[in-house]
Amino acid sequence: MSPNAFYLLASLLFSIGLVGLVSRKNLFVLYMSIELMLSSVSLILATLSKVLGDAGGSVMSLLIIGVIAAEAAVFLAMIVNLYRAKKTLDSDRFTMLKEGEKND
Amino acid sequence: MLELSIFTILALFMLGGSIAMISNRQTVFSAFGFLVTMIGLAGMFALLNAQFLAIAQILVSVGAVVVLSMLTILTVNAKEENLPKEPDKYKWMLFSSVIVLPFTVLLYKTLSTLPDHFSDIDTISSKVVGKLLFSEWVLPFEILSILLLSAMVGAIVIGRDSKKRKQKPERRRRI
Repeated sequence: MSPNAFYLLASLLFSIGLVGLVSRKNLFVLYMSIELMLSSVSLILATLSKVLGDAGGSVMSLLIIGVIAAEAAVFLAMIVNLYRAKKTLDSDRFTMLKEGEKND
Repeated sequence: MLELSIFTILALFMLGGSIAMISNRQTVFSAFGFLVTMIGLAGMFALLNAQFLAIAQILVSVGAVVVLSMLTILTVNAKEENLPKEPDKYKWMLFSSVIVLPFTVLLYKTLSTLPDHFSDIDTISSKVVGKLLFSEWVLPFEILSILLLSAMVGAIVIGRDSKKRKQKPERRRRI
């Protein structure tokens, strides 16, 4: 079978992640959309590794999996902290850094 | 033929899972969609004969990342009124899909200018990957280890309850 199918799947997954990132407000969904976009890049790299017969793409893909793990730790801690501050998961409500905005 | 049918089933699972992920209102069901997508991705890696990558995907993404995010979702336990109100969510999703569609086509067209057939090596053995990781790619590997360490420290610092820590000295003074 041809690598084009993998390319199509990866670009579709990337676009779905982008749509989720743009159109939703739930912090958890934003986080999972970012993870999905990273994972689709990792799929492209793994496909290229097989197309070119070079294991370097697999190594890069492996490193991306490590980056995903690091990102998950920081992002989830951040979500917990934000939820503790405002008791909501709505990304529009977090305006603490806005100028002239009162925050408690 | 068998390969193609496995690919089709996995791809449908992944697309369905990711669409369920971005369209569900309840966060736990989104996490289940994410789980299905990650397992499908591991299957894709196995289909590309990158066994070590498939195992690492299962171990790290499914075993650690998804489980950690589900644990956080269940710990946060957001009630209905704490979830964001998105009355015209589907309208926004449709609108942004239309905006993103040309980008998808561009991405696919760019990627399909690459060679259209797999090379004749049948498998990328974990031996080669391991040797490359510790010879040619050792600097990114070390940077990644520092990144993981700093992410761990950062997660502890960010996730700490700052209000609770401020209250402790006052209590002591009262006693």
